[in-house]
Amino acid sequence: MAVEQQTARPRLGVFKLTSCDGCQLTLLNCEDELLLLADKLDIVHFPEGASPGQPQGPFDLAIVEGSISTPEQADEIRQIRRCSRLLVTVGACATSGGIQALRNFADHEAYRKAIYARPEYIESLATSTAVAQHVKVDFELRGCPIDKDQLLELISAYLRGRAPAIKNESVCFECKRRGTVCVVVAADTPCLGPVTHAGCGAICPAFGRGCYGCFGPREAAATQALAAQMKTMGESEQQILRAFRLFTAASPAFEQESRRHE
Amino acid sequence: MGRPMTDSQAYELKSMPRAGLQQLFALLVAQEFRLVGPTLSDGAIVFDEIATPDDLPVGWTDRQAPGSYRLEKRPDKRAFGFVVGPHSWKKYLFPARETLHRATFDKAANLWRQSDDNAVATAFIGVRACDLAAIGIQDRVFSGGEIVDQGYSKRRRASFIVAVNCLQAGDLCFCDSMGTGPEATAGYDICLTEFDHTFLLQAGSRRGEQLLAQLPVTAAAAHERDKLTAGLAQCRGQMGRRLDTDKLPGLLFANLEHSRWDEVAQRCLACGNCTLACPTCFCYSVDEVADLGGQPAQRERSWDSCFSQQHSQINGATFQPAIKDRYRQWLTHKLASWQSQFGTSGCVGCGRCIAWCPVGIDLTEEVAAIRNNASEPLSMPAYRPAAGAGSSGPFATLFAAAEAPVVAVTAETADTATLALKMPQAYRYRPGQFNMLSLPGIGEVPISISGERPGIVEHTIRSVGKVSAALSKLQANTAVGFRGPYGSAWPLAQCRDRPVSIIAGGIGLAPLRGVIRTLAAQQRQSEHPLRLFYGARRADALLFTRELSQWRRSGLRVAVAVDRHTPGWSGNVGTVTTLLRRKDMPARGLYLVCGPEVMMLAVVRLLRQAQVPAENIYLSLERNMKCAAGHCGRCQYGPYFVCRDGPVFSYDRLQLLFGKRGF
Repeated sequence: MAVEQQTARPRLGVFKLTSCDGCQLTLLNCEDELLLLADKLDIVHFPEGASPGQPQGPFDLAIVEGSISTPEQADEIRQIRRCSRLLVTVGACATSGGIQALRNFADHEAYRKAIYARPEYIESLATSTAVAQHVKVDFELRGCPIDKDQLLELISAYLRGRAPAIKNESVCFECKRRGTVCVVVAADTPCLGPVTHAGCGAICPAFGRGCYGCFGPREAAATQALAAQMKTMGESEQQILRAFRLFTAASPAFEQESRRHE
Repeated sequence: MGRPMTDSQAYELKSMPRAGLQQLFALLVAQEFRLVGPTLSDGAIVFDEIATPDDLPVGWTDRQAPGSYRLEKRPDKRAFGFVVGPHSWKKYLFPARETLHRATFDKAANLWRQSDDNAVATAFIGVRACDLAAIGIQDRVFSGGEIVDQGYSKRRRASFIVAVNCLQAGDLCFCDSMGTGPEATAGYDICLTEFDHTFLLQAGSRRGEQLLAQLPVTAAAAHERDKLTAGLAQCRGQMGRRLDTDKLPGLLFANLEHSRWDEVAQRCLACGNCTLACPTCFCYSVDEVADLGGQPAQRERSWDSCFSQQHSQINGATFQPAIKDRYRQWLTHKLASWQSQFGTSGCVGCGRCIAWCPVGIDLTEEVAAIRNNASEPLSMPAYRPAAGAGSSGPFATLFAAAEAPVVAVTAETADTATLALKMPQAYRYRPGQFNMLSLPGIGEVPISISGERPGIVEHTIRSVGKVSAALSKLQANTAVGFRGPYGSAWPLAQCRDRPVSIIAGGIGLAPLRGVIRTLAAQQRQSEHPLRLFYGARRADALLFTRELSQWRRSGLRVAVAVDRHTPGWSGNVGTVTTLLRRKDMPARGLYLVCGPEVMMLAVVRLLRQAQVPAENIYLSLERNMKCAAGHCGRCQYGPYFVCRDGPVFSYDRLQLLFGKRGF
């Protein structure tokens, strides 16, 4: 997979489904590295970075932002998959369904009627789901939004043919490495850090806030044990439910936990 | 405990007015030491750079409970009137993140790029007895064995230690149980004891003594000595926790299926905080990092923990998938395996893991619960200081790789190739050992040596991950980075005067090929049978097929089986164990086994049923490895490091754990 020759630059496609564009913006925010990136990759399709056009496959690397929340998107993602050698999803929407997956817990029909004057013109699915529930995904980059350095690491690793140095540990690892004093232990602040996938650099606890879980559940997320701990700190069932039902509400581990507190 | 920095000579106890502390700081700064010590930050007493005694947490103390830490005002102006906080000194000696080296050759400068030596001369102010012991333990881990971590050692040599005796204990302290405190007895340059108006000072080294001579000190009075003795005794009496260490290593390993492990796994978050806060935990990860531009590839080391999945993961397997596995790994390592590996407990009784566990799991309580209803303690492997006798020679370094030209590449199967590497003249190895092979910017992996020719060493590599894929796709006239050899070898000397059976599964034939070649060459002169039982998934996954025929011709009895029949295959179908008949398993024979763990387990069962003694069976294990020096902690297997004590083990040493899930 290592690509060394400049003459055959891998073709990159960036795609957007239901999302806020924040993760694509992370790519644009790469400023210093953007020219290097354009030098190593043939950026064929990138709606946030260029005038939108019809995507011209095939792609060596497809980066997909956003969740599947309409029937068209369910078709579109299959098409993207068909013409992409490697498909990477980025951000909470693409990897878990995003904040819009709150609809999965509500009456979709009622929402549609309450919001749109002519709901019959709106065609959307009753659920917002992760891309991996529809097609095979080669790598999921977490975050809401994703971390710029992790995105660059992912692309660099792809270009060199190495496994990206992206860890699936808890946010606590990042807190401890940067020497942040634990907000749970020292300040009784509820924090999802122990069950959340690392990658943000543990920003919130460094500013005295508990982790909101933007990166979604880590592997082996002990949500039940954490919920029990939040309860002993005086959090109500409703507060615990809300903590788990946020940016990655539909990720299996967090969904399961939030349902326990309904 | 640890490597005492303190001179044997006893220094006199001195007394100094409080104001002298400022002078001590000034003298250290004049000697160009950076001062680091306790200071208030974010609601805790942390370690950071300090300039004057005013930066110390004067008038503050800490109150700790499981999962809880609070600062409180003291009624007095003591600067060291607290116990331990969230940080430990390892953040300076073994930094949380560190660039190890750059892996490209700088042609202009004609050298391999190394990271800057950032061993800043540092004075540690206020090191408690438990933390002194912890530093001593990390000294053993990183610089007490055959392979020394140079960066750690440099930082350690550049440190000046000002210890502080504890006259008050916290609710989570149990250094008295661990024999590490509260009195600082060794490993410091100067030790302080703080009273309301004075400090007692004790030099522990010549340079400490020289510094002390420049301070406004007088000989300590008898009443001051008495006050110190009384203060230490009072501190011992105040310890809020105790740990019964009697036969603890054997007790934990005798009770690996105790119900308490399941119980604690229900509460444990596997967040890793206990290990990261622990002053002795040393596990680390090494990652290749490279940016998009022309910057050379770098290798970065960072704190890891046995609570991360990646810690025990190799391609295709996670050895500690469940939280129970990870907690049990941590506790048994800390309190038991550590004794076999380093000749000391891994616990110093500081209580950090209890305070900084978000759910307040208390290891003293867990151990007490396991003692309840426990099976009798097992006897554990003794600590052997020179355990890794195999890892030696000029190329068995820590991370500094030499370059080896790839002179030939042989495709063995669709996904497996053998690289012939030209080795430097001084390179020596024994069959069974392994090298760490690397490609700059891609990574480094352990690969066993599969044979040799004069000046050439062979590695047979199956593409299972990114690094092995890149290695197996190399062509002749390229180069790889290598360091080694590491680990233990097959017992060739014992193979001479008895029947030998070699049992291999899949790629497991590669580490055995060197032994087979040696024994096959001697077979004509031998009166004992030499047998090879080899199994692979399919016929097209069989390795060294041409050589198998050659071995047959030289008198080896070769039996081959494949798991699944494919067209054209007329041989045995079934697992390798179906080839083993009772008459092929004489009790006095020697058995060398390598393959997937489940296959080795099945083979061992058959051999044991055939009354083969455990010490006649040798296995080669595989685990995640980053350093190959027994430092990164990833290849732990109970009391062993697979890289250092293995990969080849006689089964009598493995019986403790082999086949147990979660190790």
